[in-house]
Amino acid sequence: MLFGRRKKNPIILRDKGVVEWKYATCGYCSTGCAMEVGLDAAGNAVTTRGVADAPVNLGKLCIKGITEAEILRAPGRGTDPLMRNHSYEQWQTVDWDSALDKTASEFKRVQERYGRDAVAIVSTGQILTEEFYTLGKLARGVIGTNNYDGNTTLCMASAVSGYKRSFGSDGPPGCYDDFSHTECLMAFGSNLPEQHPVIYWRLKEAQEKRKFPVIVVDPRVTMFAQFADIHLPITPGTDLVLLNSLAHVIFAEGLADEDYIAQHCNGGEDLRELVKRYDPATAAKITGIDEDMIRNVARIYARAGAAMSIWTMGINQSTHGSDGVCGINNLNLITGNIGKPGGTSLSITGQCNAMGTREWSSCSGLPGYRALENAEHRKEVGEFWGVDPAFFPEKRGLFMTDIFPAIESGEIKALWLVATNPLTSMPNTTRIRKALEKLEFCVVQDAYADVESAQYANVFFPASVWAEKDGCFTNTERRVNRVTPVTAPLANSKPDLWIFNQLAKRWEQGRTMKFPDTAAQVFEEMRALSPGTGANGEPRILDLSGMDYDKLLSQRGIQWPMREGDETGTARLYTDGVFQFADGKAKLLAMEWRDNNEKPDSDFPFWLNSGRVVEHFHTRTKTGKVGNCNKYSPTAYMEINTDAARELGIEQMEYVRLVSRRGDAVVMAQLTQRVPYNMVFVPFHFFDCVNRVSLGLLDPHSRQPAFKQAAVRLEKVDQLEAARLNRELRAY
Amino acid sequence: MNAPEKVVNLFDPIDKARPSSSLFPLRDNEPEYALLRDPHSQETNRYGDRIALLDLVDEAVSLNINGVREVGFNPNRYKQHAFHFTADNCIGCHACESACSEKNDLPPHLSFRSVGYVEGGTYPNYTRMNISMACNHCDDPVCLKGCPTRAYTKHPEYGAVIQDPDICFGCGYCTWVCPYNAPQLDPVAGQVEKCNMCVDRLEVGLKPACVSACLGNALNFGVVENTPENREQIATHLPGFPDPEITHPNIRFQQIKSMPREVTRTDSMPVKYRRDDKSGSYKPAVDQKAGKARHWNIARLSSRENPLVLFTLASQAAIGLFALMLLGDTLGVPAISTFTGSVAYPVAVFLCIALVGFGLLMSTVHLGKPLRFYRGFNNLRHSPVAREGAGVALFMGFAGVHMLLELGQAPWLVSEFPWLAGFGAGLAIAAGVSGALALAGALIGLYYMVRCYRIKARPFWNHKQTGFSFVGCGVYLGALCLAVVGGSSQAILGEPVVPLLTLCSVTMGLGLLLEGTGLVLHARDMTAAESEGAVSHYVQTTTFGKTWLLRNVLLAVTAGGLVLAPLYLQAATGVAIWLILALSTVLLAVIGRALFYVLVIPTTMPGAFFWKNKGFEQHARDIGLADMPQVGVAPLRH
Repeated sequence: MLFGRRKKNPIILRDKGVVEWKYATCGYCSTGCAMEVGLDAAGNAVTTRGVADAPVNLGKLCIKGITEAEILRAPGRGTDPLMRNHSYEQWQTVDWDSALDKTASEFKRVQERYGRDAVAIVSTGQILTEEFYTLGKLARGVIGTNNYDGNTTLCMASAVSGYKRSFGSDGPPGCYDDFSHTECLMAFGSNLPEQHPVIYWRLKEAQEKRKFPVIVVDPRVTMFAQFADIHLPITPGTDLVLLNSLAHVIFAEGLADEDYIAQHCNGGEDLRELVKRYDPATAAKITGIDEDMIRNVARIYARAGAAMSIWTMGINQSTHGSDGVCGINNLNLITGNIGKPGGTSLSITGQCNAMGTREWSSCSGLPGYRALENAEHRKEVGEFWGVDPAFFPEKRGLFMTDIFPAIESGEIKALWLVATNPLTSMPNTTRIRKALEKLEFCVVQDAYADVESAQYANVFFPASVWAEKDGCFTNTERRVNRVTPVTAPLANSKPDLWIFNQLAKRWEQGRTMKFPDTAAQVFEEMRALSPGTGANGEPRILDLSGMDYDKLLSQRGIQWPMREGDETGTARLYTDGVFQFADGKAKLLAMEWRDNNEKPDSDFPFWLNSGRVVEHFHTRTKTGKVGNCNKYSPTAYMEINTDAARELGIEQMEYVRLVSRRGDAVVMAQLTQRVPYNMVFVPFHFFDCVNRVSLGLLDPHSRQPAFKQAAVRLEKVDQLEAARLNRELRAY
Repeated sequence: MNAPEKVVNLFDPIDKARPSSSLFPLRDNEPEYALLRDPHSQETNRYGDRIALLDLVDEAVSLNINGVREVGFNPNRYKQHAFHFTADNCIGCHACESACSEKNDLPPHLSFRSVGYVEGGTYPNYTRMNISMACNHCDDPVCLKGCPTRAYTKHPEYGAVIQDPDICFGCGYCTWVCPYNAPQLDPVAGQVEKCNMCVDRLEVGLKPACVSACLGNALNFGVVENTPENREQIATHLPGFPDPEITHPNIRFQQIKSMPREVTRTDSMPVKYRRDDKSGSYKPAVDQKAGKARHWNIARLSSRENPLVLFTLASQAAIGLFALMLLGDTLGVPAISTFTGSVAYPVAVFLCIALVGFGLLMSTVHLGKPLRFYRGFNNLRHSPVAREGAGVALFMGFAGVHMLLELGQAPWLVSEFPWLAGFGAGLAIAAGVSGALALAGALIGLYYMVRCYRIKARPFWNHKQTGFSFVGCGVYLGALCLAVVGGSSQAILGEPVVPLLTLCSVTMGLGLLLEGTGLVLHARDMTAAESEGAVSHYVQTTTFGKTWLLRNVLLAVTAGGLVLAPLYLQAATGVAIWLILALSTVLLAVIGRALFYVLVIPTTMPGAFFWKNKGFEQHARDIGLADMPQVGVAPLRH
């Protein structure tokens, strides 16, 4: 063997020089990976590693988590508060007091002139639970606007709505450990390997130990679809038909768990009656999945000892997203697959703290899954906060997707955006742009000053980001986990908690109420608000009263409920079959499918599908600046079927113009058989791209937009001009 | 089932009190999947080589990583380790790549491990196979052999092939010879770096960072020829993976799910892979991505290798010129010996030295770190590059001596310094010896210049045409130089020009015919090849089709015209015709050599749509996206 030399030279490996590791939960998606951030001798965060004994990720991280230390010092971070009278003027750097005073006085002016609800707050799923809770207290108890919502309406609203309609409460009943017990897993519109790679790894680990069938429903041949035992390439927007048809087969063939239905469910007869109309032959014509396959899948699922469903945006971002979730819940209820190991309805959540905002932000009601519609809850929270319960509205206000139309119609005059970027993330951004232009006052609070939505802001609050702050996230499986301040806030940026507290002080009411300074004190309030009795007379499920920061850290996150005195959390909800409705029974819902999507026609012959890629997060304000993420897709592109492209004369890497009834966008063509002949797929991360053409019809229950169903046509463009445009649009 | 035997506990954990915990990051609770675990191993690998690279010695030597003196006591420390890749499982999530970049602190434009893919089938019966590839720490490390500076070492510890950027001078030759694109030439830092097998992790019983990060359970690592737990195949073939016979790479695959008969690449490389039903493995074939139309693309003839175009042409011209003069003189060819006996001869020798000097300057300019040029001779034992350089340098040195000795005998100098006459005989003998040595150096240089390009990972070059071209070029450019220098000096001295010019013209014509013969054979073989060579030829005849035709026509016409020179050189316009043909010779030589460099397509791994896609890299540079570091395309310095 040839070694090259006898006397060897020393080996020099590059070394980031980590001297200390500090604990955090990943700030990207809701998988909730526990990690340690490595600090060098100068105290700079230089790298990350997975926490080896964390129950979620067992030391693993995905590409975004692996490179996450870079986001703390990424270009474009906001360093100082900024102000300007008009959005067409240059920003002026100001001190915090000026920015906060200006914001408070503008909110007051707008509210006095146009009414309390003329100020709208659109928040996020990105900040810490303690911050959500504080923002909720400020919005509901001090500012007093009812037009307060989170951008979770763009991702998880249908899951929330579906859980509430089926089980009486939000809260995913399952957990990742269910992969280790299930005998059949069905994934609807979920591309785990790309969207939640660490959850996929958990699934893969379970499969390596014990084989069980995986069925993937997706119009695209994702890696997940390809690796599945059965792939159902469904026609977009027809999931409910498939679900009703599966229920049809299960009832018709006597495969339902009749005991479970009788003991734990209402509405069974209506459902049976409805799904009679969804026989597989009829469903096949609508869904594009042949009738034999529908029967086959229904039998596999119903006969499995334990079967579970997971889903993500393929279900949620749909005109019948909420119905789709209820349809999945139906499937699991009629087969007795709720609350048992390996049998569950598990929505795979999007943002790192989408769950935190659902639980504690008061966006859709009051903290801790309390409702504005419930007088008891208004009284309870009002007394706890020191707010007159009559100050609370008796019904929740507008959803995020209705707030922008209300700006358009002039009902809302001032807007506060917290860590969200609607100018890129909302459907039909032309309309969003026009709405933002109409505002009298707009304040943007974000870690990144180059967030596109700041274009229309009068005030910019530079927020600290992720592990510069202290608090908790809740993940997909209800696991509350800690983020500790790993590095000091950059420059003059401040934690969101501090910003909310300081703004609260600008109101008389805010000065009389208690706004604790530290996250730990806020957590104590949440704990205090936790215990109690639910609508069903049983202890509330969203109960953190047994948790504290030390326990969260030592157990690497704990799943709620964990009640006072419990040693640890609870893996699954509804194990006793008692649901959150007054009678403790779940609801089987009979839901008719309506064909209301914009579908391909002769003018716009392609389905427009959108989605995520693994290397990017949301609107790229973070990952667009991390080279080792961004380089895998540095510019906007679309997947187009090779045969369709050939017929249109479109070549690989050619720029193409997408045109819809809303607008246009220029993307680079990637020819692949991964998508059907009549569909293009465009990642949603890029500014002025897919959401210039998307439609986003709203789900009637969740008000979530149907991002993934619209029609477009393709046009040839001048390649040099398109390249120039592409370069100009890539500010990061 | 019995719990697998854990061998990691046999390690002495390396001192945790050192100032950095980025390296050797053994924690008390490292997860099972990250631990090396090879309780048993084979004696020899499938190629018959011993897996134990050294017999286990009592006093193991420290790898001396970043000054750390401790020694790992892995019982498998001296066994060849290998990656195992389950292609059926790879989801293309980039975790391996980013974990590698994070551990090795790599800028976005550099990556020791890359994931590309091939795809095939028709929706929804579509298959994409991702391939994650780094260094395969080969049994036959062609990088180590090729490197002129000895920057590479294959360590008996784990069989790791490790490259030292502090020795490297950035010639990039290892990136040419490696079939897997493992060594990465960093155009910004001007040096090569590559996968180091995470030997620091191996020393504490951990698998490499990429393997530990894998989220598809696709990557694994252990003693070569061991089948990992839950796996059943340790194959050496994979669609898109080069022939393992080139280097005996230490990577094994599992790929048992059925694949389409034909898979394509999403990157711009016009290569696809077809299943050969006999062997079951996939072979490269041309994917006519650019259609069949012929183009000029003159501007694209210019590449990073421009200095090498000039180096090879200039040094071949010098070698040709020197050889013609020396051989002509020795054989007593009148037209030549008239000239070599004249006062102009040392000038012609000086021209040889100047051409070689210019060539060496160009090849130095081509280096990432030109000031380290002297390291080019470190690896005479293995590297054709080092030998080529040494041969050419010897040629230059002895030619210089030869020139001085010839000058010492020049009548005009002897009349000036009569004492020189006393050394006349000695000088003549010494001049003869130095001339012969110079010629020997020249021929060694030329031989290894050819060897440099006979690279298995570059089938377009690995053909006898490279020899035909280099020798032919030496002949016709050498003769051209002789015609110019000799002709003009003869004219000045009032001697007849036509005999020398005629001889040179015919020689040039023959040289061109030699290259032409090589090109015909090359085209025939490349058209039929089942390799990337066929793809290069496809690009040659389409993207550069018109340029290629122009060169071919020029070559045929020029060769014919020159061979027929005796018929017209006596005529009044003869010299004018000759001048046009001479210019044409230079033109076709430059075009031909530029094509030689831009056309080569290595046996690279498939890229992805953006990452490792030459087409996108070019586009990003063209439109300015490459100016943003996070695009991961380094702007080329020119």
